[in-house]
Amino acid sequence: MTSGLRRAALLAAVALGGGTLPAGAQVLPSEPIALAGGHVTVSGDVTAAIGSDDTGFFNYTDYEHSALKLFRVDLSTSVTLNSHFTLLGEIRDENIDTLRAYAFYVRIRPWIDRGIDIQAGRVPPTFGAFARRVYATDNPLVGYPLAYQYLTSLRPDALPWSADELLRMRGRGWLSNFSIGNQEPENGVAVATAFRWDTGIQLHAASDKVDGTVAVTTGTLSNPRITDDNSAPQVAARVSARPIPGLVLGVSASRGPFVSSTAARGAVGDGHDRDFTQTAWGGDIEYSRGYYVLRAETIWSEWKLPALGAPVIDTPLQALSTYVEGRYKLRPGLYVAGRVDHLGFNDIVGSAGPQSWDAPVTRVEVGAGYSLLRNLLLKISVQRNTRDGGRVPSATLAAVQAVYWF
Amino acid sequence: MSSALIAQSPSAIRGLRAARNGAIRGRVDLRKVPTPSEPRPNVADLGAAVRALDISDRLRSVVYLESAPRGAFETVEPTHAVMDQRGERFVPHILAITTGTTVDFPNSDHIYHNVFSLSKTKRFDLGRYAAGHSVPVRFDRPGIVRVFCDIHSHMNAFILVFSHPFFSLTDNDGRFRIDNIPPGVYNVIAWNEGVQSDPRAVTIPDGGIAEEDFVLR
Repeated sequence: MTSGLRRAALLAAVALGGGTLPAGAQVLPSEPIALAGGHVTVSGDVTAAIGSDDTGFFNYTDYEHSALKLFRVDLSTSVTLNSHFTLLGEIRDENIDTLRAYAFYVRIRPWIDRGIDIQAGRVPPTFGAFARRVYATDNPLVGYPLAYQYLTSLRPDALPWSADELLRMRGRGWLSNFSIGNQEPENGVAVATAFRWDTGIQLHAASDKVDGTVAVTTGTLSNPRITDDNSAPQVAARVSARPIPGLVLGVSASRGPFVSSTAARGAVGDGHDRDFTQTAWGGDIEYSRGYYVLRAETIWSEWKLPALGAPVIDTPLQALSTYVEGRYKLRPGLYVAGRVDHLGFNDIVGSAGPQSWDAPVTRVEVGAGYSLLRNLLLKISVQRNTRDGGRVPSATLAAVQAVYWF
Repeated sequence: MSSALIAQSPSAIRGLRAARNGAIRGRVDLRKVPTPSEPRPNVADLGAAVRALDISDRLRSVVYLESAPRGAFETVEPTHAVMDQRGERFVPHILAITTGTTVDFPNSDHIYHNVFSLSKTKRFDLGRYAAGHSVPVRFDRPGIVRVFCDIHSHMNAFILVFSHPFFSLTDNDGRFRIDNIPPGVYNVIAWNEGVQSDPRAVTIPDGGIAEEDFVLR
């Protein structure tokens, strides 16, 4: 365990009121803190996970952070200015590193009695279902779905010269490098990252049975951004329906330029900012009743990259991810959960013949959670990862996680 | 706190031989009215949820005898009570019952709720169920049960379970009255949202009414 993680674990124990703190449970809030007559509300999540060494980087969210060894503090705030305007924000710190603004936007409700909202700023993801879940309490396991966390070798700021150069990075998304654009090794991107939110404007309309959202943002699904890097926006949309209680059906789509201007210019010259896009479609379903919740989500994504040197990348790169997840409560405060997850990629033709452009990966994770208090949850999970490529083709990893929220 | 709800027969109880029972009445004044729990900031939501705050049921307190007359337990008859889930709130917010009472938890909303409690007095989880359905829970032990919804974190309520019938839920003005108390001296406690007064010795006169006011918070 690194010194940073030891420090994180110690702080987690203190924050959670464990061990030597007398009457810790009494001094910690159990509900959101309301100020200014309820106009300002502050809530928080503290998550501390300790797990196996992930030498295959299956759970890394960038080059340095693994979801299985993570101390995270989230503070969320809403400031209700009046019945039309609300400011919302979330700051987050991971492993006592840099404090980051995860979300910061204004929510405008033009007509109070109609379910129409406009959100502008660093807004919640429009696409898919998982990224908007409250991670600490609404993720029954410790690991993330692959589509939202697993790092492919693709980078928005660097491009492979040929199919062979891309194929050399199979299973190395945690630290890939290409010869066009930024040549420094960096981590690649997830299909639809759950770790950063995009910046732009979002329109949401809701009725009893159907919700619809459309958004225009600076980044893309794989690469949400604060500032634009290619002078063209992404458009994303989602429609979800609740035909009967407990059933939610959703479809999502998004399209936007993925490659940065600098990388595109380095590859094919000026004027091609908008050519190299990421397009994605998604479908999700959730059904819950009694003591169980079942969820499934599938995301198909396609990236268009420039065809440069031989053997050229002559087809768009595609990825298809599907997971099925379930949770069942055994008795008050105790549940078991599991997720089966696969992320696959289409073939491209290199010098050695056709091969998937990144290494397909499968994860099976099972776990359990026990609530010591209503807002203090302990999770344990074990996952088996298998990958058709990379230095470490398979790994069985375990993790425990403590979650405190108010 | 939960032990305070268990009826005792202390030596302080006097006058049980009196023929006519008395009563205690008064008012609980709240210096600060507890506000309903705010929902957690819905930062990840694509839109706002419409929810009206109603503090009327936060004005109600519970007044009870810390120590009940001897024989009080024999008079307790199990009954039914209802705690509704309506407009993402538990209604009523505070329920005072005797041991053996079965509480029904109907869902009157068009969305799922999931009632649960991790209280030592009664640990239960009713799972998710839709509008029109109701699940009963029987409370056999005295104590305080905090009730929550697993889906809507701002929904919470209290159930105070007594092993004797000498308690009263105040009205919205804080007025209470406990009848049929055998004459004697009793410790009386006022409670509101987890805050309680110090036990106060009150003499119940033979066939009369004792007056006692409380200030909380």
